[in-house]
Amino acid sequence: MDAGRHPLIEIVTGAEVIGCEGEAGDFRVRIRQSPRYVRADRCVACGQCVDVCPQVGGNEFDVGLKARKAIYRPFPQSVPAAYVIDRAACLNKTMLMCENCVRACDVDAIDFDMRPAERELRVGSILVAVGFQEFDARRLGNYGYGRFPNVITSLELERMLNASGVTRGHVVRPSDRRTPRRIVFVQCVGARGEGGRPYCSRFCCMNAVKDSMLVRQHDPAVEEVTILYTDLRAFGKGYDDFVQRSREQASAKYVRGRPAKIERAAEDDHLVVFVEDTLGHRQERIPADLVVLSVAAAPNDGALELARILGIETDPYGFIARHDPAISAVESTRAGIFVCGSAVGPQVIPDCVAQASAAAARAQLFLADQRADERKAPVEALDVSGPPRVGVLVCHCGVNIAGVLDVEDLVRQAAALPDVVVARDHIFACSAAGQDELVELVREHKLNRVVIAACTPRTHEPVFRETCARIGLNPYLLEMVNVRDQCSWVHARQPAAAQEKARALIRMGAARARHLEPLQAGEMPMTRAALVVGGGIAGIQAATDLAAQGFPVTLVEKTDRLGGRLAAPNLTYLYPNLRPAAEVLERKIEVLRRSGARVLLNTEVDQIAGFVGNFEVCLRGNAQRPRAPAGGTRTPHDPAPQEPLKVGAIILAFGADLYDPTGEHGYGTLPNVVTSQDLERNGIAAGGVTSRIHEAESAIPKSAAFILCVGSRDPEGFTGCSRYCCATAIKQAMLLCRRGIDTTIFYRDIRTISTGAEEMYRQARGMGVLFVRIPPDEKPEVVGRERATAVRCFDELLGRRIEVPVDLVVLSVGMRPRQPDTDWFHDTLKASVGLDGFFLERHPELAPVETAVEGVLLAGTVQGPKDIVDTVAQASAAAAKASVYLAYDTVRLDPAVAVVDEDKCRGCGTCVEICQFRAPQLVENTAGAEPGRYGTSGEAGGYTAKINASLCKGCGTCASWCPSGAITARHFTDRQVHAMIDAACAVAAGAPPAEEERVGP
Amino acid sequence: MSTWDPNIVVFACNWCSYAGADTAGVARLQHQPHFRMIRVMCSGRIQPGFVLRAFEKGADGVLVSGCHFGDCHYVFGNERAVEQFEKTRNVVRLLGLEEGRLRLEWISAAEGKRFAEVIDEFTDQVRALGPSPLAGERAGAAAHA
Repeated sequence: MDAGRHPLIEIVTGAEVIGCEGEAGDFRVRIRQSPRYVRADRCVACGQCVDVCPQVGGNEFDVGLKARKAIYRPFPQSVPAAYVIDRAACLNKTMLMCENCVRACDVDAIDFDMRPAERELRVGSILVAVGFQEFDARRLGNYGYGRFPNVITSLELERMLNASGVTRGHVVRPSDRRTPRRIVFVQCVGARGEGGRPYCSRFCCMNAVKDSMLVRQHDPAVEEVTILYTDLRAFGKGYDDFVQRSREQASAKYVRGRPAKIERAAEDDHLVVFVEDTLGHRQERIPADLVVLSVAAAPNDGALELARILGIETDPYGFIARHDPAISAVESTRAGIFVCGSAVGPQVIPDCVAQASAAAARAQLFLADQRADERKAPVEALDVSGPPRVGVLVCHCGVNIAGVLDVEDLVRQAAALPDVVVARDHIFACSAAGQDELVELVREHKLNRVVIAACTPRTHEPVFRETCARIGLNPYLLEMVNVRDQCSWVHARQPAAAQEKARALIRMGAARARHLEPLQAGEMPMTRAALVVGGGIAGIQAATDLAAQGFPVTLVEKTDRLGGRLAAPNLTYLYPNLRPAAEVLERKIEVLRRSGARVLLNTEVDQIAGFVGNFEVCLRGNAQRPRAPAGGTRTPHDPAPQEPLKVGAIILAFGADLYDPTGEHGYGTLPNVVTSQDLERNGIAAGGVTSRIHEAESAIPKSAAFILCVGSRDPEGFTGCSRYCCATAIKQAMLLCRRGIDTTIFYRDIRTISTGAEEMYRQARGMGVLFVRIPPDEKPEVVGRERATAVRCFDELLGRRIEVPVDLVVLSVGMRPRQPDTDWFHDTLKASVGLDGFFLERHPELAPVETAVEGVLLAGTVQGPKDIVDTVAQASAAAAKASVYLAYDTVRLDPAVAVVDEDKCRGCGTCVEICQFRAPQLVENTAGAEPGRYGTSGEAGGYTAKINASLCKGCGTCASWCPSGAITARHFTDRQVHAMIDAACAVAAGAPPAEEERVGP
Repeated sequence: MSTWDPNIVVFACNWCSYAGADTAGVARLQHQPHFRMIRVMCSGRIQPGFVLRAFEKGADGVLVSGCHFGDCHYVFGNERAVEQFEKTRNVVRLLGLEEGRLRLEWISAAEGKRFAEVIDEFTDQVRALGPSPLAGERAGAAAHA
């Protein structure tokens, strides 16, 4: 909805690309738009047309589980919020000419004369975000999808679980609509080798775990949920903890195995799932009332054609190909065309969102000269001083409100409320005519407060605020009363009580309106420059993207070279295509150098003061520090500046530490036990597969063992998954194997989730790398006194203890928050860290690279373990978010924030303690200051709180905590809320509103 | 048969619980209409004084609602709300009001159904308790109206 409202975003629905000419920076894209037969600029989505439409079509959004009319809204939150006509189902295509909808529409939005339209767009860059479609489970005949009604897909289940979906949240068997007692989830349907698709779909494991919990919570009649899986791929941040919760709640039984077939039982219509439990070593026949197939993501049917038109390549499965799967997060194979989300292959939502921002950052490189200003010229403000003059407009919303509520009565009541000078109704307040009526009312009656009783402020407050702003009425003098979504829609069966409630809500709104105050958006200067902390691949990428857009960027790196973990000798080859790390890094550094970013090596951040738009950073050189291991790429750089650096935004990109396994598995005592990092450093690629002892003996080991999850998924320590280690271990094992070394990998779940990694896993097995699955609660034992000679463990798939002789043990170590940097930046910037110790994103799905602190962004593994491609995506996303700040020379400050009455403040610091956003700060009083009304704050040596409007998010929590009542949460003041409470209670008692205090200047 | 319906004040945060009530609306999930919604930006804003004022003015029940933990638009505002709520509950106890008249619920923007269920359940619970002793004569008068 934010996108739909954005002044610089045009959404063309029902459109397809039919041609593309030109090149990066100047594409000419031809699109064809199919007619929707409803004029989106007029439609107010009242739904009256649906009621009269006699024709029924299949509902795509509810995957055919529910019917819809020929005129319909694709789904409840669709943008634009306009109906569309399915011509194939509509009677008007025949000679019958029903035209019921035309007659029912009060705003003349239906237009059967619309024709397909072609147009040409001139654009600098193109983003491909065409997503995926479900794998067609009918192709796997042994699962019976399409034959047995009670075998459904995960998407069909999802629609059922949705409270506003087809069954209103109830899970039922399609055959008889009864609640299933036993549900079986089948994972990897059409993925990981089945149906010709070797890749992993990434999201299905967590989706099944989540759905199993939802189903059990929702309906106690569901007695048993079984999940048939191969590896549980809970790789994302917090995912393993989620799975653990599901295990603790016993919401599902996990069985490792892939069904051979699903059949219908002879006696009744329940299903039987034939599966080999590969951990229990039995053939099982699991009875089920409902089977849910977790179907894989497949490329969209149109993706190949689109790729052909755009001149970009696809991968062997039909997903859009990335330029280089080892390093490119969002580049397609053609300059100026970027790709994000599941168009490149299956993704989870946080990664999609990060990639989307990343693609936006890169796309800007071709638009830098054309940045438009979304801000509008100010309109002269209306004089709103004097006593409140409230106008009330009650909306019918067609029959949505007026069909349940007596609007006339509501208007009559409203007109009699204190300070209300006029009350009217309108059939659609949000239509152009309705907005005009509002403007008329304000002008005619000299209104200085407006109450709109209509739908929810969450969707329509911006619309009415804009109308207010257009005529100079301060938008904060508008109050919306929700008599549709929260009244007529949900109390239709009790119209009398609904009427009473609507009357109360309008009284409450009018009472609050009397106390509304005009608020002026402030502005703060924005220093249009950024600081990037850390010179690894994340920092390099973020700095490059920002500098290429023309913003001054300073990148500081502690050591004497760029590259971090990517620099030799830390890494030699990158998975999945064994690209030499040095080559990739060199190119990245070259692009960084050309971008104009300033790079400061041997430099650390010493102090940071200030806030978004106005950070002051002191840097210090650290030439005395121990140097990074030799061999890295050295880059000429400027000496650290003496003057504090002024920046508007800060990107944290200093990476993560690797877990130190000293004392575990003989690491540190047995000379032939090494970490995955040691192995890279020892020159795995150059043929020197060595540990200390092999080096001394100048011998090559005959056999090697990899132990995964060392320092990851550990209930005592870091409980999460480190994401990169499975694919890295497989890459390393393949390199060893090629050298004739017998290689065994001890794993708990193989989580090859990145592009090409699953294929690598299959290839490794094909070349003879052995994979041994070990239980989570028992670590493998490394045997040997002088040197490791064998690994002992319980092999879950064999079901017995085994001992594998080895000559080299490699510990695949997980990631840890980098210290002391994480603690230092956490303390200094007050950016939160999560329970796992990594920096906490503001929202996992909505804001994966932002912190709660404005202007502070996260790139790469500071936010949690991830591999190189995901790190690069995040870094570009952080650059995109930083550029949002830097795009203007001022930062607009929301005026609906908290303010301190300095006369009342006693300087106790409660607000400082509770605020997550660092907005309040205690300022020492200067001697001789005017003493406050309450005597305390003005004293020299005392303190007064000040709230920085550029950091305050307006939650109002500090106002509720301030023991002196010195803090006012603007737009949600005590007085405003009290007025609503009083009106709510007075109405219930049927009494006139109690004592009327006059409001005014 | 008593025709008395309680009067309930619901405080909801803008991002989750208020949105959840809207979601119930979009899905037309019918629930009892005897509550009055007051929207604030964050449940952390809901100070004891708001709840106590509602009771003082005669509310028979008060529901405080916000985002689930980990989903707060303001990161930890809802955790502050819990602390405030505990304080409020202590005062409500001191006042001698039944504890069942006050409730704290986490309802997300997607949980329209849960919103409807919570409202129905809480309304029934407050109805069973009868008019608030603080509602005084007005509620009594209304009950006989």
